Amino acid sequence: MKLSNRNIIYNRMLAILGCFVVLLVMAGLTDSYGASSPKTSVSPQEEHQLGERMYREGILPSGEPMQAFVKGDLPVPGTAFTCVSCHLRSGLGSYEGGVVTTPTNGAILFKPLDLQYKGVKQDPKYYPVPTRRPAYTDKTLANVIQSGVDPTGRTLNDVMPRYLIEDQDMALLVSYLKNLSSHFSPGVSDTTIHFATVITDDVSPEERNAMLVPLENYIKQKNTMAAYYKRNKFSARMAASMLYSGEMTFKKLSLSKWVLKGPAETWRSQLEEYNRKDPVFALLGGITNGDWQPIHEFCETNRIPCIFPITDYPVVSETDWYTLYFSKGYYQEGEAAARYLNRGEESQNEVPIVQIVRDSKEGKNLSAGFQETWRELGHQNPITVRLKTGETLSEETLQQILAKEKPAVLVLWDGADSLPALELLANNKEKPQTILVSSSYLGKSVWKLGKELRDITYITYPYRLPQDEERYNGFVGQLASNMKLQGKADMIAKESFAITQLLTLVMMDIRGNYYRDNLLDVIGMMRDQDLPLYERLSFGPGQRYASKGCYIVQLSKGDKPELVKKSEWVIH
Amino acid sequence: MSKSIKVILRLFCTVTALSFMTNLAVAGELKYKRTIESYTAPDVVLVNQDGRKVRFRELIQSKKPVILDFIFGTCTTICPILSVSFANLQRKLGTDSQKIQLISISIDPENDTPKVMKDYLKRYRSKPGWDFLTGTRADIDKVMYAFNAYIPNKMSHYPLTLIRSDEPGKWIRVFGLMGSSEFIDECKKVGIK
Repeated sequence: MKLSNRNIIYNRMLAILGCFVVLLVMAGLTDSYGASSPKTSVSPQEEHQLGERMYREGILPSGEPMQAFVKGDLPVPGTAFTCVSCHLRSGLGSYEGGVVTTPTNGAILFKPLDLQYKGVKQDPKYYPVPTRRPAYTDKTLANVIQSGVDPTGRTLNDVMPRYLIEDQDMALLVSYLKNLSSHFSPGVSDTTIHFATVITDDVSPEERNAMLVPLENYIKQKNTMAAYYKRNKFSARMAASMLYSGEMTFKKLSLSKWVLKGPAETWRSQLEEYNRKDPVFALLGGITNGDWQPIHEFCETNRIPCIFPITDYPVVSETDWYTLYFSKGYYQEGEAAARYLNRGEESQNEVPIVQIVRDSKEGKNLSAGFQETWRELGHQNPITVRLKTGETLSEETLQQILAKEKPAVLVLWDGADSLPALELLANNKEKPQTILVSSSYLGKSVWKLGKELRDITYITYPYRLPQDEERYNGFVGQLASNMKLQGKADMIAKESFAITQLLTLVMMDIRGNYYRDNLLDVIGMMRDQDLPLYERLSFGPGQRYASKGCYIVQLSKGDKPELVKKSEWVIH
Repeated sequence: MSKSIKVILRLFCTVTALSFMTNLAVAGELKYKRTIESYTAPDVVLVNQDGRKVRFRELIQSKKPVILDFIFGTCTTICPILSVSFANLQRKLGTDSQKIQLISISIDPENDTPKVMKDYLKRYRSKPGWDFLTGTRADIDKVMYAFNAYIPNKMSHYPLTLIRSDEPGKWIRVFGLMGSSEFIDECKKVGIK
């Protein structure tokens, strides 16, 4: 076990020598950087893709990882630490751990950098400070990426990697940066940021209003303030000083309703038509009883952010970018059930587990979350029994399953229809040690679980517990026009309220940089939020499910039971 | 507005602007701060990248040299640099990598599942001897408190590396980001050669 400085010096010399050789060779090929341009054998679109791969993945056109050094002598494999890590997808940069990462998007790099405050360029009459740097040229930009020295001669913070990139490849990266966030996204005008919300025609009027009214009221309030500031310059100056983004003082918001009719197969073409006629900056909220997948895919293809659609059936993906969900819906409850079992004796002894799954969207998503997580945790697939639509789980069928499989754990992914059969287990000697059910699927009937089974029945509950939620109950009131909402509609209104709170923070943090990717970058850098309904909403670069938790609960004893926590919010 | 008030206002604005710019520049030139501290590890059970339960205190009290940091899987700027330092140290140690215990504690335990942590370590080509640990928020908070590293929110974190000293209970606390040679110099001071 030896560490010697000799190795470091040797590696550093090799790197410097390598750079020198590369520079010599390139000097022979071209008089100076800037005369070089991307290879002509590839199309502009391919050039863009190659540049994008360098920026996002740290992979050179050759397929090799980009090489760089940070902190002077710390070698960085390009794939571990890419441009996008700090400058983010939009190129607008970040602030983290005391390190300011400056923007690298086309609109800012290739113009002189003047002092801005809260997104607004300051009047040189009152702020007579020199330009911080002149506009980058292809040559000076290549130089700062390679050497860390900007056009003013200032050396950048040494957490900015110094990249060893050949001129041909550098030209691709520079070209990519030139086009990165170089023009505001569609849906943005001098006066207004335009949004839309997607509503499918299978949603009841009550639930539709629960989603829509808070959003519309919020936008109405914002626009009333903007109009007031237009009339009252003194108040406007105060607002511009106090708001994080002075730029938002006069900006208005607008919201279109994109109503989708008919079967889901036709939604895509309807969405494309809406987008063609009425392009928007982003989709806000939205609601359907069906799968969100067609809308999700439309957003991925057209690169339109969709913020917090209200759906129980989101797309579960680790890589998709444009849709930010509240949670994974039913899938997440299945995940929580598997994680809960994983940390108990059931996990140690590999006891037989049977899951009874209704052939419905709810059942399939619960089962998928449970099964995939259980396997990921290193276990064998559970035994699955499927219930067809309309089929009743009879006492006899349940007895047969118990007699044959002798499960220690019975997972029942069904609604209220199967409860009568479950109740008959109470006095059965072969009953399992643990029963798991979903509160979302059972709905109100969860409160009807018999007293005899409560000790062994565990329930997934993906929200803050009712007794803890009481202090949040008045939050939505006026924004939802004081509608008397209950049950699911009340939850929808709370989700819609959360969207408005998030939007306030995000539009401030955007600071006048109206690029769709920046909207998502800014959300990714947000702090955790304590809002109604979910125990906690948390964010992070690339994270697309803000609520990561789901309690496992039991019903307490007595005629008026309460939910009792049996797990923490996030189960490990 | 009188001329003198205008001049004062203009001067004030200029000073404010320059002070703002200076602050940014200073933030960019921070060097690391090194202190010797005493810490007692809490007795909590955390979960590593393989999904295995790990008794944190036992791991910390390992006979091997121990180096600890606080990161999260989707972090942008400072975690990658901290992790590159760990990866670089392991690379230099070669086949001896397991003779040092590297520990990264997740400060985003809600998102950092074993799978997320495993993928993260893979990106840095980690070798055995580097554990990424997650756990309940309460247990992670206990660890952060114990090492005077508590932050209420992951987005307000800061670069911190803790190197266990030869002296029992003593740790070298490095606040800030180190270069490769600086990190290795610190390692040498606790006998990592």
